[in-house]
Amino acid sequence: MAEKVIPVHMIPDVESEVIEIEGERYLQSNEAMFTFYKRTKGEFSPYFLALKERKGILGAKCPTCKLVRVPPFLLFCPECDFDPVELVEMPDEGVMNSTPPITYFGHSLFQHQVPFGRGRVMLDGADTALPIHVYTTKGVLTPRVFKRGTRVKVIFRDSRIGKPTDIFAVPMEEIPEHRRGVRGLQESDLDWESPVEPELPAPTGEAKKAYQSVLAQMKDMTSKVAHSERAQKNLAGWKRRIQVKTPGGSMGIMINEGRIDIQAGEIDAPDFVMVAGDPAIFTDWMNFRDSLTNAIIAERLWISLNREFITVFKLDRLPRSIKRTTE
Amino acid sequence: MRDVAIIGAGITPCKGRWVEKTYYGLAQMAVKEAIADAGIPIKDVDAVVYGIYNDIFELSAIPEHPVQGIIGMANKPGMRISCGGATGSYTMMTAYTWVASGLYDTVLALGVEKATDCFDFESMTSTPEVIKTIGWSGDTFYERELGWTASDSYAEVVLAYMDEYPDDLKDEVSAKITEILGEQVQNNPYAQRYGEKVTAEMAMNSRYVVYPFKLLETCVYTEGAGAIIFAAGDNADAICKNAGNPVIWVTGVGAANEHNVAGRDERHKVMHRILSDHLAAKAAYKMAGITDPLKQIQVIELHDAFIKQLQITMAEMGFVPLGRADDLINDGLMLPGGPILVNPSGGLTYGGHFVGGSNMFSCWSARRELISRGLERGLVHGTGSTIAQYGAVMIIERRS
Repeated sequence: MAEKVIPVHMIPDVESEVIEIEGERYLQSNEAMFTFYKRTKGEFSPYFLALKERKGILGAKCPTCKLVRVPPFLLFCPECDFDPVELVEMPDEGVMNSTPPITYFGHSLFQHQVPFGRGRVMLDGADTALPIHVYTTKGVLTPRVFKRGTRVKVIFRDSRIGKPTDIFAVPMEEIPEHRRGVRGLQESDLDWESPVEPELPAPTGEAKKAYQSVLAQMKDMTSKVAHSERAQKNLAGWKRRIQVKTPGGSMGIMINEGRIDIQAGEIDAPDFVMVAGDPAIFTDWMNFRDSLTNAIIAERLWISLNREFITVFKLDRLPRSIKRTTE
Repeated sequence: MRDVAIIGAGITPCKGRWVEKTYYGLAQMAVKEAIADAGIPIKDVDAVVYGIYNDIFELSAIPEHPVQGIIGMANKPGMRISCGGATGSYTMMTAYTWVASGLYDTVLALGVEKATDCFDFESMTSTPEVIKTIGWSGDTFYERELGWTASDSYAEVVLAYMDEYPDDLKDEVSAKITEILGEQVQNNPYAQRYGEKVTAEMAMNSRYVVYPFKLLETCVYTEGAGAIIFAAGDNADAICKNAGNPVIWVTGVGAANEHNVAGRDERHKVMHRILSDHLAAKAAYKMAGITDPLKQIQVIELHDAFIKQLQITMAEMGFVPLGRADDLINDGLMLPGGPILVNPSGGLTYGGHFVGGSNMFSCWSARRELISRGLERGLVHGTGSTIAQYGAVMIIERRS
């Protein structure tokens, strides 16, 4: 089935429910505000068609003040009595205008794409910066990858339909030198090195002890979740089997519709893997001293699937929910 | 221009979700409070200006129309303002202008917003859908499809500031400010996080939602309403005297909207600045005769969408130099007992952020502090749109 403008799995059934608060009954119903469009790109069409059809990037140059604006977001230059601008061909490389933010908790259409970076690239010769996704070919995107002034190359998607997502930027240093000058590089031209699971050191007695301690604390946490309605709500509607590996041993975290269970050792058919060089990450997480998200950002915790950040976020809610239940 | 004063203010309790009320009910609740505070009947109000940010939150393209009659304003002028996060400030500025111009004697500014009726049926939580709803506010040709959110757009500005001033905005300072707001919110029983204890350590260790923003240093999503009543000169004096309230005068207003596209100079957005806040404050100060804000303003209710943005805004408004926003804590400026009281309501981070009415919430608090603490002058700030594009400032005074 072709991709739909509204993802089918996001559409709820027509139904209503009663919520009771302090003895009063309130009705709420599933509704949506939607409108379908055949939206013209109008005067922006040449820009998007250039992306789609010939892997080109256009800017708008004012013949009077010579400002070059990218993308070409206007017809006339307001600085020069509304002189008409001229479309010009732009290079596909430049520098980050500023350090780009990285989104770890995206909106509902982007939950499976986090973490992702959205920055602005000042293409060579431009006076305004092009909004664009930024990616690394080297695994999980962390704040150390892109900074202000990082030289980048604009890469084109293999499949393009004339949208801002037809292009993205990667650090120029990740492009092999002999390809840096090639125009119109596509995603399939790059080496998307598969993230390799980090190797853990051989288990020591101390590591095994640390693992056993964390395992016991994790099991204790499951009973706290069982007594916290707020924590159960954090995990409602969610099922995941997570294999956790530490130097002292492995364990499974099983999330099942508001419940969480811990099992020592290897588990069958995990949905994804977490690798922690130091199991204290989990102690800090359970005691609300640090989050799993922050450990991933600091590259102290590795996960096998980027899209499972959504699960990590659900787990990160638990300690605070438990704390608020017991306070 | 006529002198204009605030003669009444009212807000609803701030809640993450109001299952028990629609925005019709919330609007009525806030107006009822404001009218009671002013001690006047609604028939004495000549016109209303609505602050409602987002049609999608209310599931209506003209969300104010069903409110007009139920707040007793049938057959009178009513106009809706929508200016992103700064909706409330622009709404109050409009109400102020209607009175100052002589068009009307008494005008109600009513801000109301639902939010968490929005629901994501995949994660079975509200927040991702609330963020998506706000996401429709980004540039729809060049940015929305990149996953634009309010958080990542403000993060762009903060990160650019940190590029420019790498020794400022230290995490320890932001966390301390968070702790202070967490303490101050205990003075606001209407607040969403009233009763919740937050320490600097908790803020430091809370998870990133969008780098460099952490969860406990990010504003909450709130449903609620706030109403502020403006009146002209002698009329205001008489109403306040009758109600036993001090007259709180509006002595300065200012606003500015920057370009939404980042560029090399001020013809476009300069990413490491919040020039909108700077220009708005400058205009308001000029109108109010303020030359040294740190000495002349005692209470500030600042639209703290994010704590690090609060710090930059304080610098842009002249309370500390750009690049030295950490002085707010390091020099004790906003520590308890310091020269300025910042967000005694708990701010939007701990008090509540019902977008269209958040700045009314701030105004309600600033006025409350002027009255209860006997202070002379306050500042109410609003920010909004992509990359902190919109800024608005209002100066209020209690004349002895």
